[in-house]
Amino acid sequence: MSWLARLLRSKALVLTLIILPGLWPAWPILQGNPTVLADPTKYLLHHFGFVACILLATVLCFTPLRVLWPRWDLALALNRHRRLVGVSAFFYAAIHLGFQFLHEGGWPTFWTDLRKPFLLTGLVTFTILLILAVTSLKAAVRWLGGRRWKRLHRLAYLAAGLAAYHQAAARKIFPVQVLWIFLPVLALELARIARERWPAPKAAPPARA
Amino acid sequence: MRIHAPKDWELAESAVTPEAIYAARDRRSFLKAAGLGLAGAVLLGRKALGATAGFPASVNPAYPAGSLKVTPYDLITSYNNFYEFGMDKGDPVENANKGWKTEPWTIEIGGLAGNPGKWDVDDLIGKLGGIEQRVYRHRCVEAWSMVIPWNGFALAKLVDFAQPKAEAKYVRFTSFLDRAQAPGQQDESFGYPYLEGLRMDEARNELAFLATGIYGRPIPNQNGAPIRLVTPWKYGFKGIKSITRIDFVTRQPYNTWQRLAANEYGFYANVNPTVDHPRWSQASERVIGGGLFGGRQPTLMFNGYEKQVAGLYQGLDLRKYY
Repeated sequence: MSWLARLLRSKALVLTLIILPGLWPAWPILQGNPTVLADPTKYLLHHFGFVACILLATVLCFTPLRVLWPRWDLALALNRHRRLVGVSAFFYAAIHLGFQFLHEGGWPTFWTDLRKPFLLTGLVTFTILLILAVTSLKAAVRWLGGRRWKRLHRLAYLAAGLAAYHQAAARKIFPVQVLWIFLPVLALELARIARERWPAPKAAPPARA
Repeated sequence: MRIHAPKDWELAESAVTPEAIYAARDRRSFLKAAGLGLAGAVLLGRKALGATAGFPASVNPAYPAGSLKVTPYDLITSYNNFYEFGMDKGDPVENANKGWKTEPWTIEIGGLAGNPGKWDVDDLIGKLGGIEQRVYRHRCVEAWSMVIPWNGFALAKLVDFAQPKAEAKYVRFTSFLDRAQAPGQQDESFGYPYLEGLRMDEARNELAFLATGIYGRPIPNQNGAPIRLVTPWKYGFKGIKSITRIDFVTRQPYNTWQRLAANEYGFYANVNPTVDHPRWSQASERVIGGGLFGGRQPTLMFNGYEKQVAGLYQGLDLRKYY
């Protein structure tokens, strides 16, 4: 096993990598960056939404990586953390929603804003992530049963599609970052579907001496 | 009617210019006074460019700060939408100060003007009788707002100077084009240079203003040096920056944001709390510098300038002509 795969097997390391972006905003705020201080809730809102999108896209890459390269130690190491990364995407989305509340002034605009596709897609994405996070508890998996659980968790792909739209709609001009966050998932998923439909011929068993 | 009792932290109108002078002399105390950290100091240390004529500006008592809380200088100058220099709010302050020259600057008046020609901005300021200070509310279409002490002159003065012909119905403003200095202009999809327009009666309205300064100093590059439009009853994107041409025309100009997304941004762009943006509410606004829990304040019709401009739009369906 490569040193990188061994490193990536560590839960502590992955958790650190997940938490660090959440601490990042402290830097410009403590530094007194006037651009950030001018509209801090907008900065925090965008930052946490951005991290949530990255985590969601990241976790959706794990399974296709394993399907496409079943013997690649890195893919196997990453797949140990599917639940951790998926649930943290939900946590970041929850913080993001909290700042949306602060930013837009709470309930009065919250409900009327839901008529706007931009905000409705955000809330639907969050609801999906909430359901997936709750059902990722061991008891819920047992209660649902493997097949139903799996079918339910396919909603993650819908969440990714909605999140991509939501992120793109957040700006006046299409933000290119949406492409580099979500295109890899799309490419890997398509490759995975192709692989599952037309499986690679089984490698010949090693010849015996 | 809203009655506003001034709070003790609100700046009096008389405090505006002295604060700016104070800032130039002792920037650290200024920042402390503004209740902010250290970083803004970098901006204040930069040599000012732009149009330097006319300072110190006289204060126009018709447009005082009154009970408005003036936004600190370093927030006004580091939170900018100037896509020619980048899409993020902090990009313009960086990228517009890497050698982009806004002095000297020539502005051309053309189209159906009886007195067409090219003028240096400083000379033009002299010809039009100097500059004055007005404190205006500023409301961005993105639902945030500032209060800015501008220096400059009434657009009506320039219109009179240009002597537009009777057929002229609109004024078209064109910004600069310099792809080497403005990295954002390399994006062809915007169709730069930035373009804006006003109806002739809007341009002649007493509020329409050409700004050459902020807080008693030449306008910084990131805010649209050396000369920009300020129409405080309209959303901020109408306030075209770094103007190089002003033409008098017969047809309604097709302004940049309308061309980019006509379903979201129109020609009029009047501040209107009852007509939402397709993606967010315009009923209220975030006050820049309000902090984490600064909350929102209700947005006023025509950004609070109903008395001065409502007459311009009588009989116009503001829902259709947004």
